Amino acid sequence: MSQSTLPAPTEKPKRTSGLAARIQHFVAESPTLVLSGVLIILFLITGTIQPNYLSVSGVRNMLLQAAPLGILAGAQTILLLTGGIDLSITMIATASAYVAANQSPNGAAVAILAGLVVGLIVGIANGVGVAVFRVNPLIMTLAMSAILLGLFTGWTQTILQGSTQVADFIRLLGGGSFFGNRIPYSVVVWIGVAVILIWLLRRTGWGRLIYAIGDNEVAVRLAGVRVWQVRISAYAAAGVLGSIGGILLGGRTGMVDLQLASAFLLPSIAAVVIGGTSTFGGMGGYSGTILGALILSVLNSMLTFLNVGQAIQQVVYGVIVLGLAWGYAGLTRRG
Amino acid sequence: MTSAILIEAKPAHRSSAWQRLLARNGWAIGVWLLLGVLLFWYATLIPKFGAFQMSSISKNSLPLVYLAMAQAIIVIAGGIDLSLGALLLLSNVIAARFMVDQPIGMVLLVALAVILFVSALNALTAYVITISGVPDIVVTLATSYIWSGLALWILPSPGGGTAPAFRWLFTGSTSGIGGSYLVPILMMLIPAIAVFLFSRRTRLGLAIYAIGSSSVAARLAGLDIRQAKIASYALGGAMAALAGLATIAITGTGDPRFSVGANATLNSVAAIVLGGVALTGGSGSVLGVVATSVILIMLNPILTAMGINANSAQVIQGVLIAGVMMIGGLVTLSRERAA
Repeated sequence: MSQSTLPAPTEKPKRTSGLAARIQHFVAESPTLVLSGVLIILFLITGTIQPNYLSVSGVRNMLLQAAPLGILAGAQTILLLTGGIDLSITMIATASAYVAANQSPNGAAVAILAGLVVGLIVGIANGVGVAVFRVNPLIMTLAMSAILLGLFTGWTQTILQGSTQVADFIRLLGGGSFFGNRIPYSVVVWIGVAVILIWLLRRTGWGRLIYAIGDNEVAVRLAGVRVWQVRISAYAAAGVLGSIGGILLGGRTGMVDLQLASAFLLPSIAAVVIGGTSTFGGMGGYSGTILGALILSVLNSMLTFLNVGQAIQQVVYGVIVLGLAWGYAGLTRRG
Repeated sequence: MTSAILIEAKPAHRSSAWQRLLARNGWAIGVWLLLGVLLFWYATLIPKFGAFQMSSISKNSLPLVYLAMAQAIIVIAGGIDLSLGALLLLSNVIAARFMVDQPIGMVLLVALAVILFVSALNALTAYVITISGVPDIVVTLATSYIWSGLALWILPSPGGGTAPAFRWLFTGSTSGIGGSYLVPILMMLIPAIAVFLFSRRTRLGLAIYAIGSSSVAARLAGLDIRQAKIASYALGGAMAALAGLATIAITGTGDPRFSVGANATLNSVAAIVLGGVALTGGSGSVLGVVATSVILIMLNPILTAMGINANSAQVIQGVLIAGVMMIGGLVTLSRERAA
């Protein structure tokens, strides 16, 4: 989709001087620091509500929550950078975890591989729909999500009948910790994903193309790039990331069902947006998304500790996501 | 997208009014024809097709029709509203909480208040979008949490109720079952035609198309962008409130579940894109969206009548949506190649 109708930035007089201007400049130049500050403040507030939170096990629990979200948000980061989106990411995650659980009796390696293949296939299908047939990504992935839900609801009674328990190794990967029960394995996976993703986006030609397509697809095409191939690869990569997130999630809960990842769809997009990646494409990166995922996880713990009930939780969650996005937009645009 | 605009504009001069009408509303006319064909096919599929089927299809389509019209007017203005489903929930539960055991006069007053309140909420959302510079999709994503949380707070578990006469108003029957199919069809067409005429015949309606097509050009032409944007969201909010009211009229209770709202939002996006409203804004017609909403609702009974189980029906529905859009994409592609 072309971004020909980008809203013009609102013109406001920017009469700031001295210290205020320097603070704004600093904030605009280093959004990562600001996000880290927000994260630390939220973390300390949560700590005052529940003192146990400010401990090794508190941090470990927070990271355990954040890892699958961060990986799913990584998939959205790639796609939002290209100007796309994946609404089927949580169904990909669920489907992969389901297949992995089903294949678990054959060993963890087969199970994980089978799960990843699911993500790859679905991702490529999404990519072909968006890149070759030019279906709007919202619609393509929405339809894909419905298709997957229908297929897997049927298959749980037929070809995927059997194990809904994941193999011990996957359980260890998703929920276990090492180093005296301090560092979760899922965080190690997340760090690996993060390093590869940041390297791909910043240091490779593929990464540059992802940004370029999001910024100006026509220019990239006229420069001789086969845009459709890059798009398909982006959706395939997102699909695989969805699988990794889903398998970790399955490992954390031990059992899989078709609602496994459904609660992560909106947070996976919110994490990217809080992290400063533009929904119009071409701007942002994964390091912001990591902070976004951590912020949302801390927020989740805080609201759980406050014990205010689901209704108020949702309201506060929405208000804070809006507040962060607003503050971020306000600070970075005037710089 | 540019090609679509060119094709719309080309026959505007030196051709008869009919050709112009056809060229401008080609897609909308196409989906209405498709709806007619599907209705006919459905009538031959089941042993007895009568008033009961007509009323059940038309009343069950009402919430999606309203919600899709809301989404259409907002998308035409260059936005997108992911909180419409949550607004539907909110209107549904407020109505259920305050309409229960009330006389019809009071119920109608509550309905009016709900429409105004929800419309004002969405206008506020639009105001926040315009002053914050945060994209529509992000702001409405956040507000969708806020409104559905509020809905859950107002009505923690399914319940409440409304007056039988109010149920008649949307469904044509005081018990919500059977009844006259004329009432729901009128309730569908009157708002649809009103919104259509508003969008094509009034200053504000044309301004909504203008800001969706190019907000820079609209501003340079002297239009008040903020006003038009807020108007589109306010109208969308009012339609979402109607969708919530129709839901309580059909089911008889309030239901605050988050997933109901999320699914409704996604269906509204599917309905408008299938109905020929481009997500880039500025083009499309509200009337086509009405037909595609009814088609989306009708697919289920049709597939059931064909003896297909619910899971396969969902798969087929997804494949159909993606398939239609793929064909549309190929047509655009071949036009671009030809041009």
